[in-house]
Amino acid sequence: MTDHGVLSFLLTTLEPVNFAACFIGALIGTLIGVLPGLGPAAAMAMVIPLTLKLGPTAGLIMLAGIYYGSMYGGSTTSILVNVPGEPASVVTTLDGYAMARKGRAGAALAISAIGSFVAGTFSVIALQFFAPLLARSALAFGPAEYFVLTILGVVLLSNLTGKSRSRSLILMMIGLILSTVGMDPIGGLERFSFGIEAAQGGISFIAITTGLFGVAEVLTVLAAKEKPIEVLPVRFHELYPNRKEMKRSVGPIARGSVLGFLIGLLPGPAATMASFASYGLERSISKHKEDFGKGSIEGVAGPESANNAAAGGAMIPLLSLGLPFTPATAVLLGGMLLHGVTPGPFLLRDRPDVFWGVIGSFYLGNMMLLILNLPLVGVFAKIVRIPNHYLMPIILVLCAIGAYGDNGALFDVWVMLGAGVLGYVMRKFDYEPAPLVVGLVLGPVMERSFRQALIISRGDASGLWASPLCLAMWGIALLSVILPLIFRRSILTTPGKGI
Amino acid sequence: MTTRKEIASNLAVILFGAVFLAYTTRYPLDTWENPGPAVFPLILGAVLTILGAGQLVLALWKFTRRNHREKQRDSGRSVRESLLRNSGEGKALRLIAVFILYLLMMQWIGFFVSTFLFAIISSRLTETTNWGRPMALSAGITLFCYLLFEVWLKLSFPRGILF
Repeated sequence: MTDHGVLSFLLTTLEPVNFAACFIGALIGTLIGVLPGLGPAAAMAMVIPLTLKLGPTAGLIMLAGIYYGSMYGGSTTSILVNVPGEPASVVTTLDGYAMARKGRAGAALAISAIGSFVAGTFSVIALQFFAPLLARSALAFGPAEYFVLTILGVVLLSNLTGKSRSRSLILMMIGLILSTVGMDPIGGLERFSFGIEAAQGGISFIAITTGLFGVAEVLTVLAAKEKPIEVLPVRFHELYPNRKEMKRSVGPIARGSVLGFLIGLLPGPAATMASFASYGLERSISKHKEDFGKGSIEGVAGPESANNAAAGGAMIPLLSLGLPFTPATAVLLGGMLLHGVTPGPFLLRDRPDVFWGVIGSFYLGNMMLLILNLPLVGVFAKIVRIPNHYLMPIILVLCAIGAYGDNGALFDVWVMLGAGVLGYVMRKFDYEPAPLVVGLVLGPVMERSFRQALIISRGDASGLWASPLCLAMWGIALLSVILPLIFRRSILTTPGKGI
Repeated sequence: MTTRKEIASNLAVILFGAVFLAYTTRYPLDTWENPGPAVFPLILGAVLTILGAGQLVLALWKFTRRNHREKQRDSGRSVRESLLRNSGEGKALRLIAVFILYLLMMQWIGFFVSTFLFAIISSRLTETTNWGRPMALSAGITLFCYLLFEVWLKLSFPRGILF
């Protein structure tokens, strides 16, 4: 296909009906993302019947709008009230919320919007050039490669919090264990559900995240003996990032865009993995390592750019292979099938209008979100100034609704409360909850691919490192464990630097 | 984190890992050619227990390296600090109790009525001293939730004897 052809399909997004669908989708997505708990998958599922009247291109553009709109909206609650609206925004709570407590919520929100826009634009441009080629190379990923990829994810992300690698690994293991609750992904046997019907489908991700972050935050604030930190009144010029913050954000946005796009191409929970990987990268190369976790602008700019670029990149495995790895893309796939569009290797050839229309809507949607959200930064920033006795009940009720609304089961609200108490106790014991969430996300893919790989190799474990791709990923995982140990040893033995 | 806390948290991890491992044996392992549903959880349980044990050994090693006087001083300080630091936790425990009551009531008096009552009590628990504002806030939250989630988004919530 010529570039001219691609451009004409991209321009279909500007047709009035597609434009309106994109706007409405992005707006609904932002609102859904802002509401803690109610995720894009639930919202998309509810909107699918309405989109059927719009036709495939406009309908799918609206669904995609909800998907990436929630990416932006999710970061808003992460920054303002420490409650991630969706999984990819979990990592934003680490520094975004800390910035908000320092009175820099406006700057964090603005950088998040700018980073999302830049990354979204980058991913569309990159997709235009690389999509057909990358769609073919994605086929090189078999079960063994997926399994090693998730192992690599666990190893690389085990240094996420920067506190204790072994403690992060323990939490990841607990997250992986929680992911085994429910139906066995290969044989369909019910596991660890203790006869509870609502647990057969697995532990609700939303219930766990709203509990670990939202409820635990409320309990921590309530238990704090000292008065909560008062957020100083924000002057107009303080609503936006200052020159220093902008300068410090340029690198993370650029790196987050490239990293997010590349991770987005790999099947898996791309946006979440990308945001965590970007945070890890920024933390390891930053000159201001000590600021991470305390309100570092790099800790917001990088992950927010990465998750948006990944959302664009993730369209490749979904559209070209028909493989949804997240609840939201699974709903999008369902919507496509209802619209009579079958995703797979032939989609780009048979329905380029749908393929490029959806991709093009990412660009337009990001522009809309930037225009829509930057003027509202001041409004959002004022949320942190709401007194606790107003804000806390609102957060608790919204968390309960989010957990309940995921599956319509009261059991999930109990899970949320349990996760909230666990998160509260974990804070008391200096454990960060983020690695547990990583484990919960990676678990299903890891187990399925591990068992499939063994079945394919007829029980020969060497199948897990037989291909060059697997070997390369094992090598990277091994190096990322060994190298920090060697560096630490050399620092300890260097005269003047040791303890 | 104090060494005592480290030891306690690692013991909890080991206990969880061991119980999980024991429970995993209820499911079939099958063969290596066709791994059953117990294989992956078994590996996870084992890795978790080993990690917990490793951390416990490190914590115990740290604990035994310190001399007796240090331990006594640390122990006294920990108790004092703990008493001072935990004085606000009664509120958190009360909120957890109220939340449990809220969930139990939800099945009996319905989601919206219990949410109305829960928002008033949780607001009172936080800081406010009067009843008027929590009640107004609670009415606002309940109405907002009803209009947005039930009327517009068509989510159905548990109904009770009142609503």
